[in-house]
Amino acid sequence: MTERQNIEVPLIVRVARGDRQAFEKLYGDSSPRLYAICLKMLGNVDEAQDVLQEVFVKIWHHADEYHAGRGTPQTWMMSIARYACLDSLRARFRQRGVEELRGDMASDAPDPQQAALQIVDRRLLDQCLDELDGRHRASIQMAYFHGFSHFELASRLDVPLGTAKSWVRRGVAFLRRCLER
Amino acid sequence: MKADRFERDQALAAEYVLGTLSGRARRRFETWMMESERLRRRVWYWERRLAPLNAALQPVAPPKAVWSGIQARLEHGRDRRGLRRGLVVSLAAAAMVVAVLLAARPFQHSPGPLYLGVVQNASGQPLWVVESRPDSDSLVVRGVKPGDAGPGKDYELWILPRSGPPQSLGVLPGNRGNRDIELSRRQDRALRLSGRLAISLERQGGSPTGLPQGPVLYQFHLLRIQPRLNG
Repeated sequence: MTERQNIEVPLIVRVARGDRQAFEKLYGDSSPRLYAICLKMLGNVDEAQDVLQEVFVKIWHHADEYHAGRGTPQTWMMSIARYACLDSLRARFRQRGVEELRGDMASDAPDPQQAALQIVDRRLLDQCLDELDGRHRASIQMAYFHGFSHFELASRLDVPLGTAKSWVRRGVAFLRRCLER
Repeated sequence: MKADRFERDQALAAEYVLGTLSGRARRRFETWMMESERLRRRVWYWERRLAPLNAALQPVAPPKAVWSGIQARLEHGRDRRGLRRGLVVSLAAAAMVVAVLLAARPFQHSPGPLYLGVVQNASGQPLWVVESRPDSDSLVVRGVKPGDAGPGKDYELWILPRSGPPQSLGVLPGNRGNRDIELSRRQDRALRLSGRLAISLERQGGSPTGLPQGPVLYQFHLLRIQPRLNG
């Protein structure tokens, strides 16, 4: 569908003013990417669709809170989608308990390296991820794509909780140094 | 010392964006974030920095039903444009209701601020009035004229926290009914931070899962209303 369609700021401004047509265009341009995020994070079609609805209702109501500090409109919407998915995952986690969740962790190894590198930021991030210790990288990617908490990471990676925490922490600290240099 | 704090904030912000910061720590961080511009900027930094990871995901067009669902929710929940246009009307309605409440039950000692929400249907007819006082940890909900929820159905009230799933405040009273809702500390806090409530249509007795199952019909804010002292 709308491959790499750039969402432009004026479109968001129109949405913020309550322009339904602009909103429909925004939905058309951005929903495939946001849906992909929800599918990846939630691993469940129904839930992904529910959350996607919620995300766009939020975008409609909060479009006037967008500002450049949040990145491009695309980035901002992705963040909204990610936080909504994280919330949904946490609610699910609370409802089902830990045991069931453990059994549910399929071997769906994240492979974010494969896509074409289209953005400079992306290339830089990839470089930095490449330089990262493999375990640290895995824990960051798993957290990002699956919304795993430290605890879930630990059980998924089969390491003690403290180890999972420190892998993430060190991974993040390294990434920052790398991205800044 | 400063450098330590910088490192700590950076680490927390990154973990907030990643999602590994969870539970109480996540909620605490959200509170700090509200208080600190600096911390918000750190979070935005990580949102921007990590976003390119998503480029690896192949876009998938969602089914048509998703868009219809969004439209239905905006119609039902009164879209913001409607709310904005309706704000004057809302405030007028609220003022009228306040006047009625004052007449019926004058403020006794402390005319402190009142938090008030008026839930109206699309034609401006008030359905429920929700009020609370800053010095109390309960909400009072009055059914003005909500109409029947339908056989085997109830209206359920929810807090919409700034983040995290809605928190149920139980089912609502019907016409002319009143309900006092005692807020737990968690609910009180969530409501203070967001000021947002919603009403959904649920099976009788309310949603069994603790999360809204039925359509969200109304979303509204509590408005702060300061009564005149010399009134």
